[in-house]
Amino acid sequence: MLVLIAGGGSVGRHMASRLAASGHQIRIIDNDLKVVETRSKQAVFGVTWVFGDACDVGVLDSAGAREADVFTSVTGDDEDNLVVSLLAKQEFGVPRVIARVNNPRNEWLFTEMWGVDIAVSTPQLLTSLVEEAVSVGALVRLLSLERGRANLVEVTLTTDSPAVGTRISESHLPREAAVVAVIRAGHVIVPSPDLVLLDGDETIVLLTGSTEDEDALRIALVGEEH
Amino acid sequence: MGLLNRIRSNTTPQQLADQEPEATPISDVVARSQVTVRGTITRIKAIPKSGMPSLAVTIDDGTATATAIWSGRRAIGGVTLGRRLDVTGTAVSSARGFEFYNPLYTLRE
Repeated sequence: MLVLIAGGGSVGRHMASRLAASGHQIRIIDNDLKVVETRSKQAVFGVTWVFGDACDVGVLDSAGAREADVFTSVTGDDEDNLVVSLLAKQEFGVPRVIARVNNPRNEWLFTEMWGVDIAVSTPQLLTSLVEEAVSVGALVRLLSLERGRANLVEVTLTTDSPAVGTRISESHLPREAAVVAVIRAGHVIVPSPDLVLLDGDETIVLLTGSTEDEDALRIALVGEEH
Repeated sequence: MGLLNRIRSNTTPQQLADQEPEATPISDVVARSQVTVRGTITRIKAIPKSGMPSLAVTIDDGTATATAIWSGRRAIGGVTLGRRLDVTGTAVSSARGFEFYNPLYTLRE
């Protein structure tokens, strides 16, 4: 896949080398000529550097935005990330636009209004990770997919959980929820319907964005009283 | 087309209306290309998108339909049902056919 990255800072460079290592074609756009020149010399296979302002339609066009499968805007400026996202979606129809949110106060702006399919905010990510670390026996939302139409949630089962000791197929999960993984004693188990859930299991569940399904899942995995 | 040029051309619709640019039949549109399509407005819908108003206008040229979506507004003067409209922008394929986000537009007779 062709992935364009706006912003050649540490975030952009790290993403580029990881993605290139997994076989993707990467182009990084940066407006600092010095950075582009030095980085181009230390060539990484699969990564091309493009000098220019990513907020400029012409620069995006010559970087290949029209062919890009994914566009990620990870500069340190939220306003730049917004402009780049809007241009990528509006002018080049990039199927998947991902933007970095630097200041969590700006998060509300990073929506499809501005062409953003997925907004990634480090503080928000950290918060959910902390929540996940401290909350045993509660439902933690890990990731929102398809603009909120699906959520990946995590529940660490306790002895209070009605699901402990029952098969997944018999644990009264809502119809539109799927247990996609169970982490037991540090091992990832791909669950079969016959897997019996145990106390201490971390269950990763994919379900629709509806609150009814989330409530039903909470009742099934956490228990009523929570 | 640069953003500035578009803003300029948006402010002088008369000049554009004088010269009838060639329009591509919607069924021939290639995804993610910059095109002009011309059709009759068959549907106007104000849809809230992430809490902000947005206007979706569907045009039909006999070969297929396409939808222009303008964000931040509920109506555009002159954009009424049955009116012929030119839409210029990047065709983005969606589940509902081609969509144009904040495209350049020209009202036709």
